[in-house]
Amino acid sequence: MHSTQTVVVQVAVSLNSNDVTIFHRQGQEWAAGETLSEHDKLITSIDWAPNSNRIVTSSQDRNAYVWSLTPDPQTGTTIWKPTLVLLRINRAATFVRWSPNEDKFAVASGARAIAICSFDPEGDWWVSRLLKKPIRSTVLSLDWHPNNVLLAAGSADMKARVLSAYIKDVDKRPAPTVWGEKLPFNTICGEYTSPSGGWVHSVGFSPSGDVLAFTSHDSTISIVYPAHGPNAIHTIKLTHLPLVTLTWTREDEIIAAGHDCQPFVFRGGEAGWELAGTLDDNKHAGGGSTGVGGGRGFGAAGAGAGASPVGRLSSAAFTTFRNADTRGFASMASSPTSPGGSGGLPSAGGGGESEIFTLHQNTITEVRVYEGVPGDVRKVSTSGVDGKLVVWDVANVSPLGAAGLSGKLGGMHIR
Amino acid sequence: MDVNFRKIDIDQYDEDVLQEEELYEADPRDPAQVLNDAKAKVGAVRNALSKGDTVGAINLVLDGTPVGPNVEEAKNLNLQTLTSILNSTKASEIPAIVRSLSQDAQDTLMKYLYKGMALPGWGEVSGSVLLGWHEKLTEVAGTGCIVRAMTDRRTV
Repeated sequence: MHSTQTVVVQVAVSLNSNDVTIFHRQGQEWAAGETLSEHDKLITSIDWAPNSNRIVTSSQDRNAYVWSLTPDPQTGTTIWKPTLVLLRINRAATFVRWSPNEDKFAVASGARAIAICSFDPEGDWWVSRLLKKPIRSTVLSLDWHPNNVLLAAGSADMKARVLSAYIKDVDKRPAPTVWGEKLPFNTICGEYTSPSGGWVHSVGFSPSGDVLAFTSHDSTISIVYPAHGPNAIHTIKLTHLPLVTLTWTREDEIIAAGHDCQPFVFRGGEAGWELAGTLDDNKHAGGGSTGVGGGRGFGAAGAGAGASPVGRLSSAAFTTFRNADTRGFASMASSPTSPGGSGGLPSAGGGGESEIFTLHQNTITEVRVYEGVPGDVRKVSTSGVDGKLVVWDVANVSPLGAAGLSGKLGGMHIR
Repeated sequence: MDVNFRKIDIDQYDEDVLQEEELYEADPRDPAQVLNDAKAKVGAVRNALSKGDTVGAINLVLDGTPVGPNVEEAKNLNLQTLTSILNSTKASEIPAIVRSLSQDAQDTLMKYLYKGMALPGWGEVSGSVLLGWHEKLTEVAGTGCIVRAMTDRRTV
């Protein structure tokens, strides 16, 4: 996962390990800087607070650390120094986010609880209060409301909830919102079930905080308008694989990504939402595949563009194998058949190149804001299981299943 | 002292264990009524098929299907009714029928296809039929439909 600091462009990245590496932008390249090592187990989430310049990391070792820049007594340079946060959870921490005012952060965990941590100046440490009550399983993702008090949580018990994380000495009493008034700690302001039952992978408040979006493992994305009544939920059932991460770019636009390896754009409003397209133009050279037009065959919506989806997949593969057999090819330089060009077909056999047509070659696990302010985000960055970190321009939306404009900038591949 | 303490099912004493039922909304109808509904559908479906109205027949079966525990008999009856429709449809008509179904109906149909495939020995009995429908349904509804058939705890 990654988290970006905006002033000097830096990014904190953890590559499935116990450490975090800070990269900074040098021209068109990224240069590796300091490594932050303190965790004993895999780091599950990182968040960088841009204004107070602190990084918080959470890990499977049931701990979280807050890192701040301090001068090193020996060398005089500034280094990142960790401060342990006592979360008091007995399971892994899965997700962490700073609050908008950066005076608190929330840590989701497998202990069926969310730890809200604030700084206690007397003890000079971070103390936590646990939100437990209605949560019945691991909390997978969090998002703070702009008022610094409300928190959305998506959980493995198929529910997305909005809870109050009001801490007495840190927060002033918040103004009433569409989610409620008078919100003592651990009030449940809303509870929404995923439509066909699936873990809620990702939740997000809109820039105004009046709308909640969540994606779940049943390949749906739901957008809730609490101001319009308890049933004002727009659900889009997708024809492709589940989305695991989302971010709002504007009040009427969401970028979400997941197992389909490309960022999707959703647009809409109170009247309804729809899938508007993808940020990926699906034209990347896939090894021995046919390269006929764009459009990844697998489930990429739209019956148009002649892309032959899953149905003909097997016959194309069989034909390829059969041709390889009769002509004695060792590797597939070109597949002569493939009716209709099933774009997503990984090249069969010996060639060893089985790239798919999207830029990311594996699930995208995180999409974060890269440039812009909440409400007017211009670029987002995505990182995924394939080790790539890609920055996308939000304006370049391609319709699904067709070739479109290229929208990628500054991709970074980390090994 | 009871030496069989190792064989105690400790989860039954845990008050906070997550039960299966908490994860979805159960069918509000009474099990006996669900069974009656399923039986009534058999007749209605036969009527529709004899008139050649396959779309209507499928929608009858898929609408208000029994889900959840306690309704096994109704579920099996429904599966048989649906299989009779699937078997009797010509391959060329399948894409049009599938496209006319609502998204919820498509998801339910996919659940039934997988339920049919879960029966032992389905390959010889109805292999080509189930696979043919699966292929056409996936072309229209995509892999998302398959994912929903797998994640939904309201099993048919």
